[in-house]
Amino acid sequence: MTAPAARPAPPRRAPVGGSFLAGAAGRLLPQSVPFRYFGAATVFHLAAWLVLLFSADQWPAWRGGLGWPLAALHLLTLGTLLASAIGASLQLLPVATRQPVRWPRLAALLWWAYVPGVALLAAGMGAARPAWLGLGAALVIGALLPFALLLGLNLRAARGMAGVVLHGWGAQAALALLLASAAALVALWLGHPLLPRDAARGVHLVAGVFGWMGLLAFGLSYVLLPMFTLGRVPDDGRQRQAGAVALLAVALAVAAPLAPSATVPLRAAALLAGAAALLLHLRLMRAVQATAMRRDLGIAGRLINGGWAGLALTLVAAAAALAAPDGSLAGSVFGRLFGLAAVAGWLLTFLLGVLQRILPFLAAMHAAQGRRRPPTPSALTLPHALAWHAAAHALALALLALGLALSSAALLRAAGAVGSVGALAFASFVAVLLLRTRKASTEAPAGPSR
Amino acid sequence: MSFQCQVSRLLDDEHRSSIALLDRVGHALAGGDLGALQALAAPLQRQLAHEIGHHFGFEEAELFPRMADAGDAELAQLLTEEHDTLRAVAAELQPLAALLVAGTLGAAQRAALQRLAGELVERQVAHIQKETMALLPLLDDLLDDETDRQLAFTYTADA
Repeated sequence: MTAPAARPAPPRRAPVGGSFLAGAAGRLLPQSVPFRYFGAATVFHLAAWLVLLFSADQWPAWRGGLGWPLAALHLLTLGTLLASAIGASLQLLPVATRQPVRWPRLAALLWWAYVPGVALLAAGMGAARPAWLGLGAALVIGALLPFALLLGLNLRAARGMAGVVLHGWGAQAALALLLASAAALVALWLGHPLLPRDAARGVHLVAGVFGWMGLLAFGLSYVLLPMFTLGRVPDDGRQRQAGAVALLAVALAVAAPLAPSATVPLRAAALLAGAAALLLHLRLMRAVQATAMRRDLGIAGRLINGGWAGLALTLVAAAAALAAPDGSLAGSVFGRLFGLAAVAGWLLTFLLGVLQRILPFLAAMHAAQGRRRPPTPSALTLPHALAWHAAAHALALALLALGLALSSAALLRAAGAVGSVGALAFASFVAVLLLRTRKASTEAPAGPSR
Repeated sequence: MSFQCQVSRLLDDEHRSSIALLDRVGHALAGGDLGALQALAAPLQRQLAHEIGHHFGFEEAELFPRMADAGDAELAQLLTEEHDTLRAVAAELQPLAALLVAGTLGAAQRAALQRLAGELVERQVAHIQKETMALLPLLDDLLDDETDRQLAFTYTADA
């Protein structure tokens, strides 16, 4: 046998970003810490659909004020998206950026302020009780400030993954704007206006949906998709380029409601930058898939792709709203569809696809500790529940879009019913995962996994 | 992934072949296609013998000690533990694969074969995932040209 050809060029290079898996087991938070946030997200997800089911009559006339539609929206954004983002970022960023986890007890304690705070806030919005809303908001903001500190420490100490870190800092800045605008809105409802209502609402929407969650979703995609598909991690420089364009889009969109005389041109510029950011991001994601050893991610992959399609629809709806005579998102059909496409079509769909991959992965890593033959992720998963969930989720979103477009309470109620079935299916997946992980952890250390 | 190091490229090529075969086994299992599974039994048997013996042995003898010396003992230990788990699964699977090749697999053994093959597919994929994302890029930094050439020669000569 002959020796292989000599290496043509021997340049040394930095380890590929995906080397984060090295030693991941040593950087795990106690299982109860991230999973308490994922568990809360699962329950709030179900609660949001149930609120839609039981308050569908209020939705056609809703114009953004206090009421159950606003409560459902925040059960989804704060309760599901942000709670999952807390759990995921506390666990995945230290693993991805090769550093130890910090202050796990603080991360666990924050849950006790955050989750009751979200519940009280949603109840206050639904029942139009500003005092409850104010107390709930104080608990939520009080929990998110230390979380932002933890996130900032993780970002500051990050090694490698410069593109992910850039997105993380952008998300961090957006979180600051989100909290400030939330405080201004709560103050307004309590009778102490700090900012004009439309400006506060505009900043709140953009900072929360596109700034905080959107940038985090883009950044973590550069970690998660290569891991799921065994594809090549996108070049750091290109990640930073795409991130810079996304940051520009968010900055323009945040500036729009603060500059009433230039709102429409700023929104148009934000839309163009947002479309460019999406194209750059998708090009990098396509490159990951082109080099992937495993291209079929099953239901999770279809939900992730659906999430990206949701973002494209968001931009289309925003363009349509911008082309309307008053150029406003508020109250118009396109404005409602824009909100639906952004929050549920893009972020929720993407998140649910990602969660059904990372929850079994994390659970299996926890169950592996101290065991010679730990359970596999699929041994912890209930696949039929995920299939039911995906079908119900897609149908519920379609019904919701139709219901909002036609102002039909019957269609909205149907969306709530189907969405609740899907959320129950997802909850059963999470519950079975936790039960099986606990069972595997209490079995004899050297026992077989299946 | 594209790798500079010859050893990384050799191992990566084997990983890709392994994933492709395991995917075919996985599809045959998922579809309950016993004919396809039977056709895959011999290649699977060969791959198991090669992977468990040559591939794992090379990594443990030549690569993991270098990783540990360079400060990556935690990763080396994790991968070694996964090798042990895969060996345990393969040890249960190999006799059943041999029966399948010989056409003497009983109905009771078929369920065990399907369960173990499914487990092997998932564990192998997860293991290759870690090696591709973590070990192989590390080798590009860890091995100088001469060591890389010698190890690549050793690996292919012993195959």
